[in-house]
Amino acid sequence: MIQFENATRNYGKKVAVSGLDLTVPSGELFALLGPNGAGKTTTIKMLVGLLRPSHGVVRVCGHDLITETRSAHSRLGYVPDEPYLYDKLTGHEFLRFIAGMYRIPKHLTQLHIDREITRFELQEFADDLAENYSLGMRQRLIFAAAFLHDPDVLVLDEPMVGLDPRSVRIVKDLLKEKTAEGMTVFMSTHTLAMAEEMADRMGIMIEGKIHFLGTVSELREQVDVETKSLENLYLKITSIPSADQINSPDKK
Amino acid sequence: MNTKKPAAEAQSQLLEVSQESALTQKLRRTIAWNLVHSTIHNSRFRFGLVLLLSVIFWVAVFCLFYESFVFIDSMHAEVMSLLFNTFFSALMAMMIFSTGILMYGGLYRSEESKFLLTCPLRAEAIHAHKFIEALWFSSWGFILLGSPMLIAYGIVRNAPWSFFAMLLPFMVAFVFIPATLGSILCMLVVAGLPRLRLHAFSVLFVSAMFTAIWLAWSTFGSTQSQALTPAWFEETLSRLAMTEQVFLPSWWLSSGLLDAALRNESRELTAQSTFEALKFLGLIIANAMLLSLMASWVARWTYRKGYSNLEAEIPCKRQRQILWLDELLAYGGTKDGNPIRLLLVKDLQVFRRDATQWSQFVIFFGLLALYFYNLQSFDYSNAYASLIGHLNLAVVGLIFSTFTTRFVFPSISLEGRRFWILGLLPIHRDQIIWAKFLFSFGGGLIPCLGLIVLSDSMLGLEQKTICVHLACCVALCGGLSGIAVGMGACMPDFRESSPAKIAAGFGGTVSLVLSALFIIFVVITVGLTSHLNLLRNAGERLPDYPILSLIGGSGGVAASLVIIITSGLLATFLPIFLGIRAFRHLEP
Repeated sequence: MIQFENATRNYGKKVAVSGLDLTVPSGELFALLGPNGAGKTTTIKMLVGLLRPSHGVVRVCGHDLITETRSAHSRLGYVPDEPYLYDKLTGHEFLRFIAGMYRIPKHLTQLHIDREITRFELQEFADDLAENYSLGMRQRLIFAAAFLHDPDVLVLDEPMVGLDPRSVRIVKDLLKEKTAEGMTVFMSTHTLAMAEEMADRMGIMIEGKIHFLGTVSELREQVDVETKSLENLYLKITSIPSADQINSPDKK
Repeated sequence: MNTKKPAAEAQSQLLEVSQESALTQKLRRTIAWNLVHSTIHNSRFRFGLVLLLSVIFWVAVFCLFYESFVFIDSMHAEVMSLLFNTFFSALMAMMIFSTGILMYGGLYRSEESKFLLTCPLRAEAIHAHKFIEALWFSSWGFILLGSPMLIAYGIVRNAPWSFFAMLLPFMVAFVFIPATLGSILCMLVVAGLPRLRLHAFSVLFVSAMFTAIWLAWSTFGSTQSQALTPAWFEETLSRLAMTEQVFLPSWWLSSGLLDAALRNESRELTAQSTFEALKFLGLIIANAMLLSLMASWVARWTYRKGYSNLEAEIPCKRQRQILWLDELLAYGGTKDGNPIRLLLVKDLQVFRRDATQWSQFVIFFGLLALYFYNLQSFDYSNAYASLIGHLNLAVVGLIFSTFTTRFVFPSISLEGRRFWILGLLPIHRDQIIWAKFLFSFGGGLIPCLGLIVLSDSMLGLEQKTICVHLACCVALCGGLSGIAVGMGACMPDFRESSPAKIAAGFGGTVSLVLSALFIIFVVITVGLTSHLNLLRNAGERLPDYPILSLIGGSGGVAASLVIIITSGLLATFLPIFLGIRAFRHLEP
């Protein structure tokens, strides 16, 4: 469903993402981890069509993001780290606009909107202007918009920022349900616990390259650390000394 | 796994061009309706004030043009053609640049375009959506200025009804031409010269400025004849003839409007003129449509690529070393930085790095300086020079008040958004207010004093009058800064992150109105006494009212100065005192 083929992106002389070869099949939740500046945002931007690869190809459901941009976008849902809403639209009006954009048939539009409003508990503020929303409300509305057209691929960039625990639970359950139904989810996050709990597979990106690709248990097998928490594994692979290593007797 | 849908099925999920257009139109309509609705409900005062001022402005411009056309109508008809051509060609040039700049912000730097680019919309549809927005912003001034002018012209010329019916189509079709040209230019520059974009824009802007100054100077300034004499008019008009080029859309518009306004003795001749006007209208519409189509093509082939290229640009790194001026301001004469001085330096750095702030400052004050410098070209009587000097004082105050309202007033609200930082710092809240005041007062005083000295010197005013104007200028800078800072602290808006929106809110409007009232009070008080004193000293007979003799005496001038200084101090310290009191009790 998502294919990166030798995808490279340069910022001037700096290579932000280098020769990325990655396929995320249908029904998989993939988590992309990595330190700041590793190339995660660039990867996401290439995946949603905001950045074109300097070399290589990015495909969504077989559609090339450059030559078949609209077809690729029609299969995609995107929740950015900083959600954009029209301040002078109500939540309801925004969802209607999204429904129109993804050409949801008129007789189904209200059904889809009601479904998402109920799912993300937007009833209380769906008719208020978005300028009055809190960060959490905005994030929930963006999730509702991303799920409105039942996308085949969902791209999430730090998705849980601003959400309260109840909303986090709703999103987690929904992601599990949708991936079981065949949706592909590509998630960039710094929340290791979230990745550990949710991801079928994860990739750890450092300086534009994937240094590890596999499941958490594969990571545990491959990386040699005393305490095999994901945090320690992650810190080991990204070469930052962990608290265990710093405090271990043989280090002293 | 390849889950690519068959082309026909994938295509069926995408919107047709007309559907995209209808969708974005509906979006704009809904946003506009909600905006008007919420403005009327939440900011009635502001809405009413804006409406009232717009109507007053429109009527004033109409009266001005009406009187001017009555005066010009007695002259040769050629003059009208020259004036129209000059006016519309100048507007066309300005609109090309303004739309280009607006499109750059709208297409490449706005959060909305970033959002729309991730949706299944054609690049042309996104361009069209942002273009309508830019068109509105770049052309409302033309509509506001052009409509009273053309209606006044039609009335003076006793134009047939068809002239008035054709006005709107002419104006709307015309604005599309420079606007699409600006948009195409913007997209080509971004796509073709991503690395040289800033330099290309800078070179274009500076070249345009110099060309405009050179043209203005060579047309109006360097005439051999004495200013405002018939010979001067003749010479100037002959130089304006360069704007009458048949390939310029401004010429088509001027010719079309002049033909449409013709009322001949016979009906046939009038109908013939109207038909000629319709041909010009058709020509303008055809060109506007062709250029819109071209803009759409350019968007299709360059927009997404250009956006991607811009996204991949590395932001230039700021120099780490503090400039000597910052260091001097922050630490000069002390071992540790004083909090007020450190806040001042922080505001100075923000000002330097915010192109919106300094560019507007440079453009407005630069244009004023240019205008003041050119005052020497004219020959005035003492009374006239005195009047112009006082009006220039008011202009300097009004320009400065737009800056204090637009940039200083919102700064308290924006600072409040970072209250968790400032609140934890070991500084008193009062110091934030004082730092803002000193920044505004210090930053505005030097250029304003410089402008007043320039204006009064070019007008050849007496030293005594210059000193009075300088005192007024100090009072104005203090009062306007005090009002903006004090009102900003009394009526902060911590929910809003955009300074423009904060300034446009209720508090900003009140601050602007108070500033305008203060300027009017200062200029009228000092202007009346100084002017009457000048007339009296020149031996002119004043109207036979004892009060006029009293305020026109030396004592009157001195009294007005005392009033100005007192009101200046009051306008400075009263709002700041109220602001400090409100800011102390603030809980963001």
